[in-house]
Amino acid sequence: MNWSLFFDLTVSGLTLGSLYALIALGYSMVYGILKLLNFAHGDVYMIGAFVGWYTLHALGGPLNPTISGAAVLFVMFIVSMLGCGVLVVAIERFAYRPLRNAPRIAPLISALGVSIFLQNSALLIFGASFRDYDTFDLIGVKTFSVGQLFFSVTQLLTVVVAVLLMVALTIFVARSRLGKAMRSTSFDREAASMMGIDVDRVIAVTFFIGSALAGAAGVMFGLVFGQIYHYMGFIAGLKGFTAAVLGGIGSIPGAMVGGLIVGLAESYATGYLPQGSTFQNLYVFALLIAVILIRPSGLFGTAAIQKV
Amino acid sequence: MRRRASATAALLALGAALAIVAGAYATPERAAAPAAQSGSDAASVKCGKTRTIGFMVPVTGPAASIGIQQQHWAQYYVSTYNKTHKGTKFRLQTEDTQLGAPTGTAEALKGAQALAGSPNVLAVVGPAGSNEIVGVTKTLMDGGLAWVSGSSTRTTLTTDGTRTGYMFRTVPPDAVQSTTVANYISNKLKYKRVYIIDDQETYSTGLADAVQAKLRAAGATVGRDGVSQQQSDFSSLIAKIARDTQIVYIPWQLPPKGQAFGNQMKAAGKGSIKLMGSDGLFDSSFASVGAHVYDTNFPLNPKSKIITGFKKQHGGDGEYFGAPSYAATQVAATAINRACKTGTTTRAKVRAAIRTTAIPAKASLIGVALRFNRNGDLSTLHGFGLYKSNGKDFVPIPG
Repeated sequence: MNWSLFFDLTVSGLTLGSLYALIALGYSMVYGILKLLNFAHGDVYMIGAFVGWYTLHALGGPLNPTISGAAVLFVMFIVSMLGCGVLVVAIERFAYRPLRNAPRIAPLISALGVSIFLQNSALLIFGASFRDYDTFDLIGVKTFSVGQLFFSVTQLLTVVVAVLLMVALTIFVARSRLGKAMRSTSFDREAASMMGIDVDRVIAVTFFIGSALAGAAGVMFGLVFGQIYHYMGFIAGLKGFTAAVLGGIGSIPGAMVGGLIVGLAESYATGYLPQGSTFQNLYVFALLIAVILIRPSGLFGTAAIQKV
Repeated sequence: MRRRASATAALLALGAALAIVAGAYATPERAAAPAAQSGSDAASVKCGKTRTIGFMVPVTGPAASIGIQQQHWAQYYVSTYNKTHKGTKFRLQTEDTQLGAPTGTAEALKGAQALAGSPNVLAVVGPAGSNEIVGVTKTLMDGGLAWVSGSSTRTTLTTDGTRTGYMFRTVPPDAVQSTTVANYISNKLKYKRVYIIDDQETYSTGLADAVQAKLRAAGATVGRDGVSQQQSDFSSLIAKIARDTQIVYIPWQLPPKGQAFGNQMKAAGKGSIKLMGSDGLFDSSFASVGAHVYDTNFPLNPKSKIITGFKKQHGGDGEYFGAPSYAATQVAATAINRACKTGTTTRAKVRAAIRTTAIPAKASLIGVALRFNRNGDLSTLHGFGLYKSNGKDFVPIPG
């Protein structure tokens, strides 16, 4: 057993899985409340990466930041999360809310339309060129090793921030008044409305939180992997969606675990399976299909009782 | 209800998976038999003052970042020509091929149909990708259109005989580039442990295959992998590269991806392993990875007036990947002007004029005269230039 390779792949898989988990949470939360597959979510993640890049450059760029490197990172995350949240609340207001009572295919198509709109708008506004976060210039090539475990500071940052965000979300949903309202709305929207819950507000908050997490994931991606571009949301969105389905769409812990499983599966497939890097998507989606066949509701999903 | 929703989600996911797999791995090898000529081949066209060249290029999609370089260079030729010639002008009719997108070849085909059906289009610059050329061959030939590509390097495109007289290119084929690369690694650097990673596109796999075969024949141990152009996370792949590897060869098409790969190698503590790219990575962003980076490219002269003028207009960026598209546009425009001497022409006459192109070296961007052999390859270009990074830009390796 080549332990060095195993540890490298595990670190890589956990980093990637953390990003997928944050994206998956957005899919799962929105689906949990509206039963809507928000296919524009991957593109929101892309927008988050660009907002982070522009924030970085507004603060002087990676070589000459006007404030400390840690403060730059903090501001990048905050601005990107707020930017994505506000953007998607606006999208929800104009593209999804008018279709809330329409047949379920209508908002799905609207989501696909929003996805293409965001992608092409990004091409128009940001251009086709790749943008580089120049992380090395901002925080240097810092790496750590513990025995055969070898990881970079950006990988550590990604996993830690993702875990903190997921814990914060879990506490928010479980303990806050708004979290309770979100759970009630998810359980029965009409009943929640009759109990005095402002359903529109709850839905808007859900979109905001899910998109803010995607924005944070976008910044993390830029920091760890360097380059961002207008098309990056497509595959990441599909992987995030896969993670959400794998974990049980609608389930918050499921999205987290699903993301980590997809990330690790992708990493181990690349490292150990024949032509793994070429066919990693094949292996990941084969895993999804296998899990869904065995547990149609996903790992953490529960089959709802249908009244007849 | 929930069970049904999950099943629907699973079906959607399965559909998405199939779409990805199909998009990423299918390279439709459309039969490219010479077609019976339609009326458009011999139809007389009034040349007029403004002449139209079709331009097939990835404007959007994953390869848009290299498409923009080709657009800039082709447009640079047209704008320079239009400024300096009072009698005739040129315009480009651009069709987006979306190279690398799941719908890529289908979009290229739509573009080819639009150009073939547009009577004013007299020749085509592009398409960019070898797989696209396979896909559009029949349509362009049915329309009687010649095309000059500035980036498709698959060797068999010109040697299999199916496009003779129609397809031309201003880049040397993979066979030339692969020989240059393999000879340098095995004879000059004398490296025996090599890792090759293609980007799963036709351009890249062809080149990687050829270099791999030549290096193995020379006695080197060659590891091989592939990675999608849509991917930016190379950490798992880098974990597989043994620390005693001497050089990693990445014949990719997107310089920022090469830069990301190089930086991730450094982050993984493997920054001492040499890197070598292909013409697709010939860009300062890839060179900025460090002085341990090599590359190959068309034998451009960075001090030529054409390149200096281009860089001045584009913020100092040479965008060298697109440079052969300048030459391709120059070939098409020159041939159209020759075929239009009487004021009218046909697409057949333009094809014949391209076949007999003779642009002298002093007017050529790529440092040699532009003349084609019978297959449509440049008869004057026999090797690739080798370059090494100085940490910021690539500089030619003497000898």
